[in-house]
Amino acid sequence: MSGPGIAAVAAQVAVVTAGAPLLAGLMRQVRARLEGRAGAGIAQPWRDLRKLLRKEPITPVGTGPAFRAAPALLVATTAVTAALVPFLSTDTPVGRNADVILVVALLALGTVALALAGLDSGTAFGGMGASREMTIAALVEPTILLAVFALSIPARSTNLPAIVAGAVEQPARLASPAGLLATAALAVAVLAETGRLPVDNPATHLELTMVHEAMVLEYAGPDLALVELGAQMRLTVLLGLLTSVFAPWGIATGPSWAALAVALAVFVAKTALLGAALAAGEVFWAKLRLFRVPELLAGSFLLALLAVTASYFLSGE
Amino acid sequence: MSEGTYTQLLDLACGAFLLAAVVVLWQRKLTAIVRTFALQGVALAALPFLLGLHEARGELIAVAAGIGVLRTGVLPYLMRRALDSLVPAPVTGAGHRYVENVSEAWETQPLVNVAASLLTAALLTLLAYAVARPLVLLGPAPATRALPVGLAVMLIGFFVLSTRRRALAQVVGFLLLDNGITATAFLAASGVPLIVELGVSFDVVLAVLVLQILTTRMRTAFGTTDIDDLRELHD
Amino acid sequence: MNPVGSALGAAAGLAGCGALAGLLPRHRARTVLAGVCTAGTGAAGAAAGIAACAGDRWSLVLPGVLPLSGLHLAVDGLSGPFLTTAGIVIAAVALYGTGYVRPAGTGESARGVQTVLPLFALTLLLVPAAASVSAFLMLWELMALASLVLVLAGHRERSAVREAGVWYAVMTHLGLVLLLAGLARFAAGAGGQTFTDLRAGAAGLPGGVRSAVFVLTTVAFASKAGAVPLHVWLPRAHPEAPSHVSALMSAAMVHLGLYGIVRVGFDLLGGGPRWWWLALMGAGGLSAVYGMLQAAMASDLKRLLACSTSENTGLMLIGVGAAGLFADAHHEELAALALAAALLHMVNHSAFKALLFCAAGSVLRATGLRDLDRMGGLRARMPLTAGLFAVGALGAVALPPGNGFVSEWLLLQSLIHGLAVPGEVTSIVLPLAFAVIALSAGLAAAVFVKALGVGFFARPRSDRAAGAEESPPAMLAGMVLLAVCCAALALVPGLLGPALDRAVAVAGFRHGASLSGTGIQAQLDGVSARLSPLWVVAALTAATAAAAGLPRLVRRRPRRTRARLWDCGGGAPTPRMAYTATSFAEPLQRVFDDVVAPEQDVDVTPVRESAYLVERVRYRQRVPDRLEHRLYRPVLAGLSHVGAAARRLANGSAHLYVGYGFCGLVTVLLALAVGW
Repeated sequence: MSGPGIAAVAAQVAVVTAGAPLLAGLMRQVRARLEGRAGAGIAQPWRDLRKLLRKEPITPVGTGPAFRAAPALLVATTAVTAALVPFLSTDTPVGRNADVILVVALLALGTVALALAGLDSGTAFGGMGASREMTIAALVEPTILLAVFALSIPARSTNLPAIVAGAVEQPARLASPAGLLATAALAVAVLAETGRLPVDNPATHLELTMVHEAMVLEYAGPDLALVELGAQMRLTVLLGLLTSVFAPWGIATGPSWAALAVALAVFVAKTALLGAALAAGEVFWAKLRLFRVPELLAGSFLLALLAVTASYFLSGE
Repeated sequence: MSEGTYTQLLDLACGAFLLAAVVVLWQRKLTAIVRTFALQGVALAALPFLLGLHEARGELIAVAAGIGVLRTGVLPYLMRRALDSLVPAPVTGAGHRYVENVSEAWETQPLVNVAASLLTAALLTLLAYAVARPLVLLGPAPATRALPVGLAVMLIGFFVLSTRRRALAQVVGFLLLDNGITATAFLAASGVPLIVELGVSFDVVLAVLVLQILTTRMRTAFGTTDIDDLRELHD
Repeated sequence: MNPVGSALGAAAGLAGCGALAGLLPRHRARTVLAGVCTAGTGAAGAAAGIAACAGDRWSLVLPGVLPLSGLHLAVDGLSGPFLTTAGIVIAAVALYGTGYVRPAGTGESARGVQTVLPLFALTLLLVPAAASVSAFLMLWELMALASLVLVLAGHRERSAVREAGVWYAVMTHLGLVLLLAGLARFAAGAGGQTFTDLRAGAAGLPGGVRSAVFVLTTVAFASKAGAVPLHVWLPRAHPEAPSHVSALMSAAMVHLGLYGIVRVGFDLLGGGPRWWWLALMGAGGLSAVYGMLQAAMASDLKRLLACSTSENTGLMLIGVGAAGLFADAHHEELAALALAAALLHMVNHSAFKALLFCAAGSVLRATGLRDLDRMGGLRARMPLTAGLFAVGALGAVALPPGNGFVSEWLLLQSLIHGLAVPGEVTSIVLPLAFAVIALSAGLAAAVFVKALGVGFFARPRSDRAAGAEESPPAMLAGMVLLAVCCAALALVPGLLGPALDRAVAVAGFRHGASLSGTGIQAQLDGVSARLSPLWVVAALTAATAAAAGLPRLVRRRPRRTRARLWDCGGGAPTPRMAYTATSFAEPLQRVFDDVVAPEQDVDVTPVRESAYLVERVRYRQRVPDRLEHRLYRPVLAGLSHVGAAARRLANGSAHLYVGYGFCGLVTVLLALAVGW
C-alpha cells in the first residue's frame, strides 16, 4: 500500500471523470473542423453538463425506481472500472483485483441498468432503444471476452496489471499477429460497446437509427447530465483500455511519483490522440443498418478467435 | 536479419495473408474484393522473399518478385477489366459518379450469409490448425509453424468458391485456393521447383483469362453473372 | 449417532408426517402442517448436507428394505453440496408453498400436491445419498414418479398439463431404461452392485464396456438435467407444474443429473478417455446457447425460466467436461478448478432459479398470467416480489454483484488456465467453449432485462396485471430466504471453499483450495487471478452514492418535479404503445433467424368494397423448438407408423393375447435350453 499507488487510483478516477467531457468535446471539435464547421469548442460538453446539473430534476409520470437509479449506477460502474484499469500505474492497491473479465462485466452492468431504465419509462422509444441496445450487447459480449482471452494468453492471467506490465516488458508481443488481431477485434467491440459509428450514431435523434439516444429519451436535467457523463466516461475508459493494453508505454510500473506524473501526461496524450483519430475516422463512415451489425461483430469475433489461434500456431507453445 | 526479426516479420506476413482471406469473405463489393486479393498477393510475395533472405537463396527472391507481379499486378488487372466490362462506366458528368445498375458490382446475396460465412471461416481455421498439427510437429521451425495459415486460406478459398454467386467472386475464391496452396508449399518446403511454379502460374493466368471471357459471355447470354443461372444450360 | 444420519432420519420422519398431514381433510390445518413438515424435511436435509460438507461421513445398510440386496445409503463430500442446496431450496419452497395454495382452490388437487410434495422432497435428499445401484435406481424412479404426479397437478384445468405430463413421463422413463441398462452392465462387470464394489471393479472393465456405461448413464442423466437435445420435456413440464414444484424441479431435481454424471464418470468409473468429455462439453455448449436462445424468444415467463435452466445446465456440463479433459491430461489442479466451478454454479443456480420460479409463481397467483406480453407495471403493485425477482435476475445474468457471476468467472478462469494443457484439442475446444459461455452470458443479459423490464416495469398492459396484489407473507418469507442465500453466495462465496474442495476430492482430484474467505482465487503454477466480490460491491455502492450526490453539489434544492412522458405531440402514450416481450426479442430473433426459424403469418382482411382499404390485419408469430421439430417429430411419426402396423397383431381376441405371452415364454425357454 504505497502513496503513489493510492494517488494513481485517485488520479485515474479523477482524470476519467473530469477528462471524459473534454474528450467528447475534442472529438466533436475534430469532427466539426473536418466537416468544415467552426465547432463549439472543446469545453462545450462541460458547459452542457453544468447547465443540465443546475436544472430541476424531473420524474416522468409512470417511471419507477429503476429509472431514477440507472444514471447513478451507470456513472458508478464506469468509475469503478476507471479505478481498476491500470491507466497510470500497474502498481496500485486495487491492482490485484483488477480482473479484465470483471471490468467487462461491470461495463455490461451499466448497459443493463440503462436498458432497464429505458423499459421502465414504458414508452415505445424506451423499449426500442433497450431492445436494440441489449441485442448489440448480447453479441458484443462474446467478441469482447474472446479478445480478452487472446490478451490473457501471453500473460497467462486475466489480471490487467499483469497483462499491461508484461506488454511493457516485451513490446514484441504487441506487434505479433496475435496482438494486432486482438487489437482489431477489441477496437470493433469498443466501437459497438460505446455506441459510436458505424454501430450507433451518437448525434442522431431519428427513430429509425437511434439506439442509445432512444433509451435515454425521457431523461432530463441532472439525470440526463449523469447519463451523458456516464456515456462519455465509458468512451474514455474503453479508449483508455485500448491504449493501455496495446500501447502501454509510459505507464508506471513501480511506486514512483515522477513516473506517475509522466504516466498522467502520456495517458492524456494517448487517449486524446486515439479519440481524435476515431473522430476523424467517423467523418468517413456511414452508420451500418442495425441488422448488418451482427456481420461486423461476427467479423470482430473471427478476428479475436484468429488472435487466439494465431498465438498458438505462430509463436509456438 | 536476426532470427527474432525474421520470425516476427514472417508471422506478420502470414497474419496479413490470412486476414486478407477473411476480408474477402467480409466484403460485398467486387472491386473491394479484388483489391483485397491484390493486397493478399503482397503478403504472399513477402513469404518467399523473407525465406530467401533468411536462407540466402537468390532464386526464392526471384520467385517472390514473380509472384508479386503476377498476383498483385496481372491477375487483379485482368479481373478489374472483366468487372469494368460488366458494369457500365459511371456517368462522369457534373462532378458526381453515379452507377445505374450496381447489381453486377456487388455480391449481394451469397448462398451463406456474411455473418455465418465469417463464423464458418473461424471453424475452418481451427480445422486447418488441427489438421496441420502433426506436420508442424515434424519440424518445428517458424515457417512450418505458420503452415496452418496456408491451409486455412485454402479452405476459405474453397468455401468462397462454393458459396458465392457472382462469377467474379468465384474466380477470387479459386485464386484464394491457389494462393493457399502456394503459401503452403513455401512454408512447408521453401517452395516447389521453379519450373513447377512457373507452370502453375501460367495455368492460373490462363484460367483467369478463360473465366474472364466466360463471364462476359454469361453476361451477354443471361444478362447476369449469377452462377445459379447456369442451371438453365442443363435443360 | 452420526449427525448426518440423524438429520437424514429426521428428514425421513418429517417427510412421512408431512405426507400424512397432506391427507388431512381440513384445508387450513393441512396446508400449514404439511408445509411445516416439508420445511422441516428440507431443514433436516440441509443440516445433513452441511455436516457432510464439513467432513462427516455416514453410511447405512438396511438389509430388509429392498429384496435380495438391501438398501445401501452413504453420504460423502460429493453428496454434501447437493444435499445442502436441495435441503435449503426445499425449506424455502415449502414455506412459500403454504401461501401459494389458494384458499379456495382445494379442488385443484391441492391435497394430492401436499401429500406428494414431502415425498418428492425426501427423494431429492436421498438420491445423492444412495450407495448402491438398486437403491439409486429405486430412489431415482420414486423421484421421477413423485415429480410426475406433481407436474400433473393441474391437469383438470389445462390440457397442456396432460401433454407436458406425457412428454415428461416418456422422457424420464426412457432415461430410466438407459440408466438401468448402463448401471446393470456396470454392476455385472464389476461383480457387485454397491458403489464400493463398482469403484473397485471399474478399473478391471474393458474400455468398450466402460464407454458404454458412461454413454448410457450420461444420456440418461443429461436428459434429466435438461441438456439439449434431450431437453424437450423441460420447457413443457416446468411451466405447467405448480410454481413451487417447478422451483423444486429446476433448482434441485435437474441438478441430480449433474450429480449422476459426476458420480458415475469421476467417482465410480474414475475418469475416462478424452472423447467422453469432449462430447459432454459439446452437449453443454449446445445447451448453453440453444437454451438461452429459446429463452430469448419465449414470452411465457415460466417457459423462459425453464429454458434458462437448460442454459445453466449447459454451463455446468462444460465445467464437468473441462474437468474430465484436464484430468485426462493429468492436470489435476485444473480439473479440480473446473469441477469446483461447475459445482459452485450448481449451488448458485439453485438459489437464483428457485427464487425466480417462486417470484414467477407469485405473479401467476396474483394475476393468472404467465404471458410477459400482458404483464407490466407489477413493480408498483407487487414491489417486494418485483424486488426479489430483480435479485434473482441479477444472479442469473452473471453480472458482478450477482452470485452467478462468481461461478461463471471461475469457470472462465479454469478455461483460460486450461490453455496450459498442451495439445491441439484443448487449444481449439477451450476458446470455443469460452466463446459459447460468453455468448450465452450476453444473451442471458438480454433475456433477464426482458423478463424484469417488460414483466415488472412500465405500466400494466392488461386488466389482470393492473389488478395484481402483493403475495401473502408466507410466500414472501420463502422468497426472502432464497434471496438471502443469493446475496450470501454473491458476497462471500469463499465460505463454500472447503465444501467444494471435499466434493472435488471425492471425484479424485486432490488439489483444490480455490475459494477462500472473502474472495475467490484461481492460483495455479504461479498464475493467479483474484476476485473479491465483497470489495466490488463496496466500491459500487460507494461510487453510486457519490454519483447520486453529484447533482446536489451543484444544486442545493433537489426537489423532483413530475412531468408527463414525452408523447411526440400526439396525446399521452398508452400502455399499448409500450414494448412487449415479443417486440423486445424481435431484433435478436432476426439476428438468429436461421437458427430459431420463426413462423410468421400475416392475415390482411380488406373491407368488402375495396381491395385497397384494410379492415383488419392479423399478425401471428410462433417460435417452435426447431430441434424438437427436426429430431423428435420423425421419431414420433415412425413410432405411430409402427403402432398402426402392429394393430394387426391385436385383433381383440383375448385368447390371442394370452397366446402371445405363452409363445413368448416358450421361446425364451427354448432359447435357454438350446443356446446355453
